[in-house]
Amino acid sequence: MASPLISTAVVGHEFGPYDVTIPVERARAYAAAIGGDESPDYGNHLAPVMVVAAALTELINDLGLFSGGLQAVHAGQEVSWERRIEIGEKVDASGRLVSNSVRRGNHFATIAVSYTDAGRTEVGTSSTTIIVTGEQSQ
Amino acid sequence: MNQGKSERAVGYALIGFERLVTQDRVNAYADASGDHNPIHLDEAYAAATQFGTRIAHGMLSLALVTEMLAIEFPNTWHSGGKLKVRFTAPIIPGESVTTYGEITAIDEIHDEKGILRVATCIVGCKKPDGTDAVSGRATVPLE
Repeated sequence: MASPLISTAVVGHEFGPYDVTIPVERARAYAAAIGGDESPDYGNHLAPVMVVAAALTELINDLGLFSGGLQAVHAGQEVSWERRIEIGEKVDASGRLVSNSVRRGNHFATIAVSYTDAGRTEVGTSSTTIIVTGEQSQ
Repeated sequence: MNQGKSERAVGYALIGFERLVTQDRVNAYADASGDHNPIHLDEAYAAATQFGTRIAHGMLSLALVTEMLAIEFPNTWHSGGKLKVRFTAPIIPGESVTTYGEITAIDEIHDEKGILRVATCIVGCKKPDGTDAVSGRATVPLE
C-alpha cells in the first residue's frame, strides 16, 4: 500500500487549489448543525469557518489522514477573514505545508491556506495544525 | 458585569450560549463540511479509536465559538476578525457545551483609514465538566 502523503510530503508542498464554493444546501446543513434561537441572520452570507472547514476536508483527503490505521487529531486552528462571502460565491483554497515534523513517532503538520475570490483577491487565510498517530502500522 | 455593546471595555464578558450537540447536529455538520469521517458518524468504527465513541468535528466546536463572535460583533467579525485556538478535548454527541469570551485588551491601530479600535478577547467552549473543548484568542475590530 502506498504511504499516505502526510508521511512523505516536505515543507513547501502545495495543495489545491480546491474549489470551496458553498452551495445553499450545505449552508442549510451548517445552520442545522450550529444554529440556535440566538443565532444571527446571515442572510445570503456564510460563516467564514464553513469555508475553512470545506478546505480542511479536502486537505484531510489529500493527506490520507484517515487511511490505513492512521488517526489524526485536529490540534490547532487559526482563521482570519477580510470580507463576507455569499452563498454560492466562487472561492478557491490553496494550501502549503509549512511544517511537518516527527516527534515520538507522531507527525505534527501545519498547513497554511489562502482563500481567494473570483477576482483572485485574498479574502481570508487559515492555518491548521494536525497530529497524526498510527504510522507504525503502515 | 456586562456593559452595553457600545460601551465595551476591557473585562466585558461576551454573551455566550449553551448548545446541546446532538448526533443529528454532527451528521448535519458532516454534510455541511463534507467531512464524513466515520469517527464522527459510525459508532462501531469509533469504538475502536482512542476516543472509544463518536466525537464531534473539532471545527464544529470552533463554529460555535465563531457564532458567539458573530452575535457579539455582527458587522466586524466577518470583515477583519482573527482567531487562534487549540482543540483540547473532543465534544461527545449528547453533551451540552457553553461558549464564553471576555475582552482582555482594546488597542488603537493607526492606518491609512484612520484610527481603528481592535478588541482582543479570550474565547472558548466548555464541556459539561468545565473543561475546555476549544480555547484561544480572537481579535475583532470595534465599530
